[in-house]
Amino acid sequence: MRRDWLFWAGVGYLTLLVLFAVFGPMLRYDPNTPVGRPFLEPSAQFWLGTDQQGRDIVARLAAGARVSLIVGLTVQAVSLLVGVVVGVLGVFGPRWVAGPLMRLTDAMFAFPDILLAILIVGAVGMGLLPVVVALSITAWPAVARLVRTQVASIKDREFFVASQALGAPTHHLVLRHVLPHLWGILLAVSMVDVAGTILAESALSFLGIGVQAPDASWGSMINAGRPEMVSHPLLILWPCLLLSATIFALNFVGDGLRTLADPRSR
Amino acid sequence: MGGSPPVKALRQVFSRLLAGLLSLLFVSFVTFLVGELAPGDAAMARAGDKATPEAIQRIRVEMGLDRPWPERYVRFVADAARGDFGRSYQGTREPVADIVARALPLTAKVATLAILLAAAVGIVLGTLAAVYEHRFVDRAALSLSTLGVTVPNFVLIPILQYVFALQLDYLPLDYDPRLPAPEIYYLVLPVVVMAARPMAMLARLTRASMIETLQQEFVKLATAKGVPKWRLYTVHALRNAILPVVTAVGSSFGILLTGSFITETAFSIPGLGREAINAIQRRDTPVLLAIVLVTGALFILVNLIVDAVTPLLDPRVRESQL
Repeated sequence: MRRDWLFWAGVGYLTLLVLFAVFGPMLRYDPNTPVGRPFLEPSAQFWLGTDQQGRDIVARLAAGARVSLIVGLTVQAVSLLVGVVVGVLGVFGPRWVAGPLMRLTDAMFAFPDILLAILIVGAVGMGLLPVVVALSITAWPAVARLVRTQVASIKDREFFVASQALGAPTHHLVLRHVLPHLWGILLAVSMVDVAGTILAESALSFLGIGVQAPDASWGSMINAGRPEMVSHPLLILWPCLLLSATIFALNFVGDGLRTLADPRSR
Repeated sequence: MGGSPPVKALRQVFSRLLAGLLSLLFVSFVTFLVGELAPGDAAMARAGDKATPEAIQRIRVEMGLDRPWPERYVRFVADAARGDFGRSYQGTREPVADIVARALPLTAKVATLAILLAAAVGIVLGTLAAVYEHRFVDRAALSLSTLGVTVPNFVLIPILQYVFALQLDYLPLDYDPRLPAPEIYYLVLPVVVMAARPMAMLARLTRASMIETLQQEFVKLATAKGVPKWRLYTVHALRNAILPVVTAVGSSFGILLTGSFITETAFSIPGLGREAINAIQRRDTPVLLAIVLVTGALFILVNLIVDAVTPLLDPRVRESQL
């Protein structure tokens, strides 16, 4: 029962967050231009007040939500695409393709993600696009591994062996019998992966090598609020709360979906 | 399979060494590739801002930067193996090896203290949670570890700094390289932050492993024999349950060594993590490459040692192999 409650709370929160990210930045004020005096208290005009440069905090939080969701979804789309192709090829591909692909996956899996992401940002440069590139490159090996083990277990099931014995071509087997079984578990895992990606983007922006000023990201807002922590603790509180709540919500939804996709897991 | 036990053990060690070597090659190649893609090169840095393109080209030939890439890769690896990472592009063009040698001990110190704290608290908490399964202590430990795993470091840092440095004034806000107070005083908060995640993970792992062990026959036998409770939990059960935890301690240490960027930047600790971020911001590629190469190699080495040592902790494996 407790799990159900958390799942729906997570779904509700994420729906609100998507609406906030889509409509928030155009709601009242531009997130990047000063619209009032710095450090204004929350009021009817500025719902959460203004930051150190006099920019509307609600607008900046919404812009940060937009960055988080764009990075999270883009990276997940890329890593699902690459991960599924590599994982399926790792089982069904010819040996000279499957072998090296799986070696590469394992090698990347053994390498700490944050180190690789920082290295790539160092080469490509700082900003939103380099962050998406770096996190896409570090994210797909986990998907590829999962797909490979799932596909390998489906390969031994009766319906698959039967279809194979009837002479079905490989592409038919993959499209009709393997992939339909994967979507549930992949969707569940994606929630947790997106949470990881959003965290990584915030971390890079917090470090000053991700999203660059004047653009807002929750990570860079947390970093910018640190010097004002004593006088204006709310400045840092809001992005911290939104980020933590988003991570929790994605994990709860992921857990719920996993139970739905594979009832035996609980 | 097959072969006598010692031969099998040797073969295992050999295959692990080979895997480690492959990972090292992968790390070095990716690092080299990034160095190739990054704008600017050592010749431009050496020639200075006012050099003509011809002068830069001359230096490039002199330094061997015009050679084909496989040749340069081999030289890159050979130089790195001898501890020569070239010179920094910035400032006084200090040898990169000196920068790494200055920053590495501090990073290693924080990581070591953090893993010790994480292991001590995590194992005690996990054991208590298993012993009092489904009771208050267990619920508290589980909630705490969920928080530890999900709350990101850069959210935890401002909270701790706000409470312990700014409000209570017990601890300093930032690392001060002049060290007016004993160094450990500056390292308390960073170590706690770094320890949070592995602590939570180790507590969960210890709990799961302990619960499984407590259900085994030999525990029932020991209880029937009248072994005192504390002795049953520590000497009998924990010793059996600890194996997977030890492996996790080792790999967590590797992760801590490579994941100090946020903590070091936020507390201004002049370690490898902060130097790497500074290097990215100043476009100082050789420093970044060297730090990634060194920490990547340490990460692989730590995991190799864990793989080699943990089987020896299990008496069953030890006896079958010797």
